[in-house]
Amino acid sequence: MAIVTPESNESPDKDPKYSGERSAKSAITTREEQIEAFRNIDLVSIPIIILLFGGITVFLSAVTVGDWDYWMDWRDRRWWPLVTPAVYIIFPAVIGTFTWKKFRLPIGATATMFAFVIGLWQSRYFNFHSFAGFPLNFVAPSTFIVLGIILDATLLWTKSFFATGFIGAFFFGALPYAVNWPVFALWHVPVSYDGNLLTVADLAGYQYIRTAIPEYVRIIEESTLRTFGEAVTPLTAFFAGFVCVLNYYLWVVIGSYLSESRWTHKVW
Amino acid sequence: MATTLDNQRTLLRDDIQVKEVEDLDKPPKVPWLMAIVGVSAGVAIFIAYRLYMNHYSFTVGLDYFSQEFQVYWMRVFWGQLAIMGVIFAVAAPWLWMTREKDPAAVPPRLELRRYYSMFAILALAAFAAFVALGLFGEADAAWHQVTIRDTDFTPTHIGLFYFAMPLMFGALLLAFIWIHTRLPDFMNRISIPFALLAAGPFLIFPNLGFNEWGHTFFYAEELFGSPVHYGFFVLGFGFFAFGGFLVQCYNRIAKLTDLDGDEEPDHA
Repeated sequence: MAIVTPESNESPDKDPKYSGERSAKSAITTREEQIEAFRNIDLVSIPIIILLFGGITVFLSAVTVGDWDYWMDWRDRRWWPLVTPAVYIIFPAVIGTFTWKKFRLPIGATATMFAFVIGLWQSRYFNFHSFAGFPLNFVAPSTFIVLGIILDATLLWTKSFFATGFIGAFFFGALPYAVNWPVFALWHVPVSYDGNLLTVADLAGYQYIRTAIPEYVRIIEESTLRTFGEAVTPLTAFFAGFVCVLNYYLWVVIGSYLSESRWTHKVW
Repeated sequence: MATTLDNQRTLLRDDIQVKEVEDLDKPPKVPWLMAIVGVSAGVAIFIAYRLYMNHYSFTVGLDYFSQEFQVYWMRVFWGQLAIMGVIFAVAAPWLWMTREKDPAAVPPRLELRRYYSMFAILALAAFAAFVALGLFGEADAAWHQVTIRDTDFTPTHIGLFYFAMPLMFGALLLAFIWIHTRLPDFMNRISIPFALLAAGPFLIFPNLGFNEWGHTFFYAEELFGSPVHYGFFVLGFGFFAFGGFLVQCYNRIAKLTDLDGDEEPDHA
């Protein structure tokens, strides 16, 4: 065993650059060591946070939104613009609360949505395209990074969760369709097929047989009379904005609770 | 006058691991080499598993009752469960039997090094979680869209529920034991955030049972955003608590890297 004695090294307190007694509980002795320690912790923490939260958001979106964001023919005007942001606001709310409350970093929403979209792309390519054989453009994920930026920018601007929920979360819910319109547009072009009018997305959907195909399963465009005509999407977006405001507040509270250091001495 | 190094040496005891104290005169380093080797090994295992899944799922993995399924998939199933079971059965008691008996006997530099090691290992775990939750989770989604409903076992379930999830659960459980027996700030009490984190993968199993029962009973189709899947969300609740665990670590690391020092760790 390497014997370490008090006399074998010079005391760091004798270094004229530093003054004062060193704590018995400190692991470092100089400012340089301290900076290196901070850098080390940053370097190992960042990949952990990004990978872990990226992975969990992909999983959670699969078991909640699932088909609405898997397939182009599911991304309709009524359900996709509502269900998707209403669920996806959870991740930036929880993680953004952690990064803002603990580090004053307004990056949680952007980092989460970035990791999320990266995770979606790897999954769509390796799982849906390579493994199951669907065309990649038919299963390409939507994008939400800009919505995360809006949420973080609002937080940075207002420094208030209340205002961020009221403004940022509203736009998070209201804008997904507009943000993704360049992705969707070509799939919503009408075509005539065997005398029936349908969209390119519907046509592609019918060509690729899935268990989510039957119309009693494929929950899209449900309505009674189409009295709102072209206003379906803006109305849905408006409603989704308010749903996101409420959901944001709820998950900020939960995120705050889960971000705290809590201990117990009992198992039961 | 007692200095940091003096105190660390006087705190040393014979039962501290020999290798861990050899370099105590130098500030600890993050074990990057170990992390890189570990990540590479993890990548190799997941790539090999994934290639096997791509090659043998749709060729010999469609029917559990077929002879080739027993050869190509059930051997994998039993083999991976046996390997993971043996590793856990050996590692868990070993971690407990070699635990630190006295938190005060761990010098600060050794403690900081252990935090570095833990974060490096967590980076591996985060990578495994990213792959498991994204690639293996949605592979199951893609599989169910192009095959009829399961037989008793399916290749994607063998990869997700009998490999990735138990691996994640076992790794988190071992991490739970290691953290609470090696890091003085975590000894003699329980971190609630890490307990939630470790419990997350296990807590999805009740819903796994409900999901399979539901699919054999009232829900023949495979929608992913459906009520029989909502219970899997508890995994997300567990992972959202990771922020609280990081705060606990950072609180202690801040004291370990404080030039002004802090005499006693906060065990409040």
